[in-house]
Amino acid sequence: MSILGGGIFKGMAVTLRNFIGSYFHKERLITNDYEWRSEGELPQSIGDYPKEEGEQLRDTTTVNHYSRNFPMLLHDTGEPMDTIRCVACQICERECPPQCIYIEKSTEKIENADGKPQFYPAKFDIDVSVCMSCQICVEVCPFDAIVMNSQFELSTPNRFGGLLVRRDDLLKSNDYYHKIHPQEAAARDQKMVADKAAKEAKKKAAAEKAKAAAEARAAAAEAEAKEDTE
Amino acid sequence: MSFELIKDILLATVPLLVIFPSLFAFTTWMERKALARIQNRIGPNKTGIPCTRIGLFGLGQPAADGIKMIFKEDIVPRGADKLFHLLAPILALIPAMLILCFLPLEFPWGKFISGKVQAFMLDSAVIFFFAISGLATLAIFMAGWASRNKYSLLGGMRAVAQMVSYEIPLVLSAVIVVMMVGSLNAKEIAGAQTGFNWFVFSPWGLAAFIVFFIAALAETNRSPFDLPEAESEIIAGYFTEYSGFKFALFFLGEYIAMFAISGLAVTLFLGAGDGPFLAAAPWLSVVWFIAKIFGLIAVMIWLRGTLPRLRVDQLMAFAWKFLLPLSIVNILLAGLSHHVIDAYPGPVAKVGAWAVSLVLLYMMAWGLNNISRSTAKPREYLYAE
Repeated sequence: MSILGGGIFKGMAVTLRNFIGSYFHKERLITNDYEWRSEGELPQSIGDYPKEEGEQLRDTTTVNHYSRNFPMLLHDTGEPMDTIRCVACQICERECPPQCIYIEKSTEKIENADGKPQFYPAKFDIDVSVCMSCQICVEVCPFDAIVMNSQFELSTPNRFGGLLVRRDDLLKSNDYYHKIHPQEAAARDQKMVADKAAKEAKKKAAAEKAKAAAEARAAAAEAEAKEDTE
Repeated sequence: MSFELIKDILLATVPLLVIFPSLFAFTTWMERKALARIQNRIGPNKTGIPCTRIGLFGLGQPAADGIKMIFKEDIVPRGADKLFHLLAPILALIPAMLILCFLPLEFPWGKFISGKVQAFMLDSAVIFFFAISGLATLAIFMAGWASRNKYSLLGGMRAVAQMVSYEIPLVLSAVIVVMMVGSLNAKEIAGAQTGFNWFVFSPWGLAAFIVFFIAALAETNRSPFDLPEAESEIIAGYFTEYSGFKFALFFLGEYIAMFAISGLAVTLFLGAGDGPFLAAAPWLSVVWFIAKIFGLIAVMIWLRGTLPRLRVDQLMAFAWKFLLPLSIVNILLAGLSHHVIDAYPGPVAKVGAWAVSLVLLYMMAWGLNNISRSTAKPREYLYAE
C-alpha cells in the first residue's frame, strides 16, 4: 500500500530537484542568454542577414541541435546554383499546409551535382509570416533538398516584402547543415548514399534482367530459326 | 463624519491597498522565476533599471508588464454586452480586495496611532469572508457570458460548476476551527492559536487544512484546477476576449484572491500572526503573517509547476466523492475528540483521541480515494486504429 498522495510528493520532489539544480549546475540551463545587438544597421529584409556561418552568424550555431525554425534549400559543395538539389518538382508546394511556398519551374534543364540535366526552381519563395514550421516539406521532399534551418533572427521592419524569403537567401550549403544539425545531417547523408546505391543496384539488376531476357529471346529466335531450317 | 473616523479608515485600508497590489507584482515575478527554474530556464532577467543593462534578476518585469497592459488597445468584441464586459473585471477585483479587510493583520502603526489593529473587525468575519468571496464566481460568469464567445462561455460555466462544488468542502473544513474556538471572529480565532497552538498541529486540523488548501486552489482557479482558464482546451476561457487593462484587472483580482484565501488559511490553521520572538517585538506578527501567506503561495506555484490539469469529470468526482465526505467525517471526529479531551483531561485521552482520529481519517481518505476514482475509461476508438 503506497502512501496516499505519494505520487504528488514524488512529482514535487522532481520539480524541486530541477528548481534547485538549475542554480547549481549551469549545464542544466538549456536556454542561452540572448545578447543585445546594438552595433550596425538593422537588416531591412531577411536576405540582409548573414548567409553562411563564419560571417558573424553567431546565433544559429549556438542554439540547440534540435532547434528548427524555418526551411532552407540545400546545395552540395560548389557554386549554389550549379549544385542545387531541388529539381522544382513542386511536391512541397502542394503539401505545405498553410501554402507558404511558391515555386516557378525553369523552362530549360541544367546539370546538377551528379552531372545529370535537371530542372531547377527559377523562383522559390517562402513567406515567413505564413510558415508554421511544421517541417512537412522536409518530410515529403524526395531529393533531400529542403531541410530546417535554426536561424531565428528573422525580424525586419518591412512586413510585406521583408518577410518573403527568395531562393538565393534560402540556399545554404550542406556544410552549414552539418554545422547546425550534425546528427541529422550525417543520417541524411548516409541515407542519400544508401538510396543512391540501392537505386544503382536496382538499375544494374534491371539491366542484367533485360540483358538476360534479351539473350533468352535471342536464343529462342535462334532455336526457332534452326527449327525453320530443319 | 469626524476627522478621527476618516483617519481610522485611511489607516486601516490604505496599507491593504498598497501592500497587497505591490506583493502581487512581486508574486508574478516570483512565479515566473520559479516556473522557469523548474523547467531549467532562467526566467525574466533583462528588465531591471530602465535605460541601463542592469538586469536586477528581472525585478523590473512587473513594472514593464504593467506599463504594457495600460497602453495596450482595449478590444471589445462587436457582439459583446459592453456594459457587463466592462463591469466583470471590476466586479472580480472588488470582492477580492474587500475580503482582505477581514484578515487579522496587526499593522504596527495602527496600534500607535489609533488603537485599531484590523481594518474591519466583525464578529462574523469568517461567514462574511465566504459570502463575499462567492461574488467572484458571478464576475467570472459575467465575463464569460458578456464576451459572446463560446470558449469564454464554456470557461465561465466551468468556473461556476467548479467554484460552487469546491465552496462546500472549503466552508466545511473552516467549520472545524469555528467549532474549536466557538467564535467566527477572526481576531479571536487568531488569539486562540498563540504560543504555537496552531490548529494545523492536530489530526483533524491537519486534515481540514489539507482539504481547505485543495479547495482554495480550486476556488482561485489555480493549477491543477485551472479548468476555467485552460489555455490548451478553451483558449484561456473567460479571459479570451479581454485585453489590456481589463485583463490586468482580472489578473490582479485573481492574485489578490490568492492572497486573501491564503490569508484565511493562515488565520484559521496556521496561527495567524503567531511566531517566534513576538514577546520582544510584537510588530513581527504582521511579518509572520505575510511570510506564511508567501509560504502558501510558494506551495501553490510549486504545485503549478508539478501537476497537470484535471479532467472535468475527475474534478467533480474529487470534490463530491472525496473532499465532501472526508470533511464531514472530519467534523464528526473533531467534535468527538474535542469532547473526549474536555471530559477526561490528561495526556492519555489526548493521545488516544489523536491516534484514533489520525488512523480513522487516514483510513477514510484511503477508502474514499479507492471508491471515488472517476469511472471513465480510456476511449476506445471504433474506426481509427
